[in-house]
Amino acid sequence: MNNNSNNDDFLLIKKAQNGHEGAFNFLMTKYYPRVYASLYSYTKSREDSEDLTQQTFVKVWQQIKTFRGDSAFFTWVYRIAINLAKNHFASSSSKKDKLNISSSDIDIEFKTFANPESDLMHDQSLKKIRAFIDKLPESLKTAFTLRESDGKSYEEIALITDTPIGTVRSRIFRARENILNFISEELDDES
Amino acid sequence: MNHNLEEKLSALFDGEIDTNEVDEILDALEKDASLQKKLSQYALVSSSINNSNNIQSINSKKKSISYGFWFSNAITAAATVLITFVAINQFEFSRMGEDISAKNKLNIAMSSKEAKDIVSKVEENLVDHVMHVINNPDLDNSTPYDVDLRNVGYNRLSSDGRKFNKGEKNFILRIEKKNLGINKVRYWRHGDKIIHVVPLADGRVVTIYGNIDAQSAINVANSISK
Repeated sequence: MNNNSNNDDFLLIKKAQNGHEGAFNFLMTKYYPRVYASLYSYTKSREDSEDLTQQTFVKVWQQIKTFRGDSAFFTWVYRIAINLAKNHFASSSSKKDKLNISSSDIDIEFKTFANPESDLMHDQSLKKIRAFIDKLPESLKTAFTLRESDGKSYEEIALITDTPIGTVRSRIFRARENILNFISEELDDES
Repeated sequence: MNHNLEEKLSALFDGEIDTNEVDEILDALEKDASLQKKLSQYALVSSSINNSNNIQSINSKKKSISYGFWFSNAITAAATVLITFVAINQFEFSRMGEDISAKNKLNIAMSSKEAKDIVSKVEENLVDHVMHVINNPDLDNSTPYDVDLRNVGYNRLSSDGRKFNKGEKNFILRIEKKNLGINKVRYWRHGDKIIHVVPLADGRVVTIYGNIDAQSAINVANSISK
């Protein structure tokens, strides 16, 4: 696999390709919400999106050795997800056969957690989060935004902000911590 | 929680970590639920920020996802489904009537050392339970007669309260106080049916044998766990 700039997940992917379940779980946790959201925009069905997201990651696991790194990992996963969605709707019987995991030889363990934080997806909450990010200390906001919104690497952010990479890493972490604390407090207040 | 470890987790999320630190984080993640929660929160925030239009439309109809059978206490983590794969060995395949091609497919899907280790640890009593269900689906002294699954859309087919259907889906239900040594959902395919074995947090085991999919079985078990 190419270790190019397309693949921030290079190390995890390599491990997953060697059968490391923990690395795969990390990748799946990282991309699950994005895959789900993408599928929802395609299917407009929560149930279908859940089924297809799970099927997507089963397929990703089965095929991860074929990922060569020519594109970003998410692009590759997204392609699998959309192909599954297309097949799902193309098949007249698909509606009757949810989560039709063809690999009868695989036993699936669901490690699932409740999600009270899903409230953060609410429109109002999103606006509040954005407003909170705007109010972060400038150094944290810049590092976080360059990373999350612009997809810049730590090295690029270090160059842009003229700070050491270690500082960039620390700032992004602190920004995330601040955001999660804010979300936690928001949810507590609203519940 | 280890502050330094959390910072490393954040860096790994961004793919900005040294090779020699990855294993440390993955090992910690495996054992630490709060770290898993943190990772899923990072993912949710990232997705929310970058896919806000999609996320908003999801939530216009969104209900809370709640599986969590095997957590006796409610773990408050973000929306995350971690799926790992546990292989079934050939012994089980032959007993379940699967053909050898299943083993070949399995070898393609799972070739890791971890998988092979797991294969070697398949528990005999669990297999015996599944075989018992297949061979004696009606031999059951434990399941209550008055189980009501209408809240998840299933009607009772018989007066004994153990057979249910919804459209073309039908299954036999067993609820037993039984220690099978599992803390996760397991399933086996048998012909055109699937046997789902779901451990509940209160120590009971729900076995669902029929032509229903994993998600539906989870919904049924979740209903019973409430």
